[in-house]
Amino acid sequence: MTNTAEAPLLSPVDALLESSLKDIGIPPRPVILDRISHEMRKEEPDYKRLANVIGADVSLSASLIKTANSPFFGCRNRVHSINEALMMLGLNIASRAIAGIILRKVFPASLQLERFWDASARIARLSGWLSQYVGNHKLRADDAYTFGLFRDCGIPVLLMRFPDYHKTLAQANGEDHRSFTAVEESHLPTHHAMVGCLLAQSWWLPEETCLAIRHHHDVEVIETATVTPPLTSRYRIAMAQFAEYLVQRHTGLSNTREWSKLGGACLRLLDIAENEVDGIYAEAVPVMDAEE
Amino acid sequence: MQANGIDSSTGFLDRGSCLELVGRLASGAVASSQLLAALWIDLSRLKQVNESFGHLGGDMVITQIARRLREKSAGRGEWCRMGGDEFVCLIPNSDAEHARQLAQDLLQAIEAPLRFGELFLHPSASIGIAILEGDEDPFAFLERADRAMSTAKRQGGGRAVASGDEPMPGRLGILLAREELTIENKLHLALENGGLSLHYQPIIGFDGRVEAVEALMRCTIDDELIPPARFIPVAEKTGLIIRLGEWSLLAGARYARHLDDAGHRTKVAINVSRAQLTSPQFAQALHGALLCANVSPELIELELTESLFMDISETVQANLHAAKRAGVGLAIDDFGTGYSCLANLKDIPATKLKLDRAFVIVLPHDRRAFAVVKAMTQLGRELGMIVVAEGVEDQAQLDALREAGVDAIQGYIHAHPMPEEALLDWFQQRNAS
Repeated sequence: MTNTAEAPLLSPVDALLESSLKDIGIPPRPVILDRISHEMRKEEPDYKRLANVIGADVSLSASLIKTANSPFFGCRNRVHSINEALMMLGLNIASRAIAGIILRKVFPASLQLERFWDASARIARLSGWLSQYVGNHKLRADDAYTFGLFRDCGIPVLLMRFPDYHKTLAQANGEDHRSFTAVEESHLPTHHAMVGCLLAQSWWLPEETCLAIRHHHDVEVIETATVTPPLTSRYRIAMAQFAEYLVQRHTGLSNTREWSKLGGACLRLLDIAENEVDGIYAEAVPVMDAEE
Repeated sequence: MQANGIDSSTGFLDRGSCLELVGRLASGAVASSQLLAALWIDLSRLKQVNESFGHLGGDMVITQIARRLREKSAGRGEWCRMGGDEFVCLIPNSDAEHARQLAQDLLQAIEAPLRFGELFLHPSASIGIAILEGDEDPFAFLERADRAMSTAKRQGGGRAVASGDEPMPGRLGILLAREELTIENKLHLALENGGLSLHYQPIIGFDGRVEAVEALMRCTIDDELIPPARFIPVAEKTGLIIRLGEWSLLAGARYARHLDDAGHRTKVAINVSRAQLTSPQFAQALHGALLCANVSPELIELELTESLFMDISETVQANLHAAKRAGVGLAIDDFGTGYSCLANLKDIPATKLKLDRAFVIVLPHDRRAFAVVKAMTQLGRELGMIVVAEGVEDQAQLDALREAGVDAIQGYIHAHPMPEEALLDWFQQRNAS
């Protein structure tokens, strides 16, 4: 989970933003999400007004239209405008899609997390595809996708706060036996799954997503049927973990030990036999290759 | 023994007559737009009476209970005996409220001890209630009452359950009554749409400084404020209390930071539930919140619910000490009532004792209460704690608490709980004056 991109020189505005972010801890919930929530609570939400607000940010608009047109967001017809995207997705899903788009923009550029966010996006997209391809309707594709984006959002928060955290990450990535979070806890009083869950809660993401973030390195949670976290949280965890495994197998990059620790439990939960994995991988390769 | 559709032991209608009657009453109720209620009553332990004293003994019990039922219903309702130990009462013009009240009265009447030779039996029963809905099939209507009775029985008997109140699985798969189910849904909505907020009430020392502000959770959905007394029990039942607690931990910590940045450096006291403190992940959550808020831990105080005293397990002990090590303050809330236990007081590394409002309400006139407050204050101080009184509304109470040696006061006499921005204004006005 380390990153390699060259650090761009920060503009004074970026530097200011960065210092304030370091100061406040986690990025606050983007105001645009509050606007959407506010509109959602009305009996007749004003889509046009929201579309204007979102449209003011060109890059956000483009990303939203692109997300709405991705296969796992379920728009049957291609959407061309923000207004159409909002209508087709519904405000609830649109709000989560926007949260996912904004997430990577709210952290300081100096963290050089391009590769980290690209990997998250790839896992998110493949999770969305998998939930349709092998999911048997256990999990909605947009939920799988959003979870993939937010799953590791605690990592940048910890990178901002602890200068040596990347060393902890490297150690956790290479750990064969202890859980990822147990390695983190040997260096810190908390871990990225907990911090990510707190961030997701403060951004008002769904309960099932927050719980999945919190427990995504916990093999017992994947394996044990419990009330909390509910089954849909466990499916999110397993689907993303499976996606991460397929992506890593495909790219040969950033190999972690998570699949050897969690893979068996994930496959059992998803009801996928070991001998089916190669077939699924073969089907997933063109999906992964088709991505930008 | 039956004659003309009448049960000879009780004088009630028999099963066949009941089914005929419910059809007639139901069509009459629909035609005249009136209500019709059915109570389905199942007596407990009749089988044992039959086994121990023979069927004559059982019949005698049934006869006596039937007499009680008839007397209690005072001529309202048609009584039927559906089988060995089951009765139905059909009550025209009865709404849910009346039916519920009658069911409670009947339960009480049934439960009075019943003399049986030299012995006293203690009968009990389960009652299911249904109200006819529109042009519902009369048998389906009776079946609903029967099902509600089975639910009452499953819940331990000795109670009445209305059809529709039977528990149903909520979003997290936990069985909830209908109202609880609605609240659970609203809590999820609140957690996903920003329906939670914290209001803050200042705690002010007798020396005039703001000792802390207590964060109190508010839940608003569709402009409807759901009182904590309604949503907290559901949150506890479903486990959502941990999420609410962690949300308020972070929100309160961020506000403490915000206040500090605005030049009002004050402790924010955040309520922590028993479920949080018994969780092995409490310390990670606390550290996570402190880190995410980037706030100095001494600006945070955790208010511990009194029910914590019930059982201070090793996990709770470990969590409390982890909190202490993290540098946050600990306050014992609602002290002096409920589960509070002096023996446990020494095991909690608290820095503040909050006396329950029950002691304050009766001040200054209740001198015994005053003596208790004074003694508790003394005790708190001996243990090195700051002592706070909650629920202070008037000057007389305040004077009595000052006399008792209490350190600080929380209550309407100083300020109501207020939203974030209002508290900032309150601080500004206070500083200006």
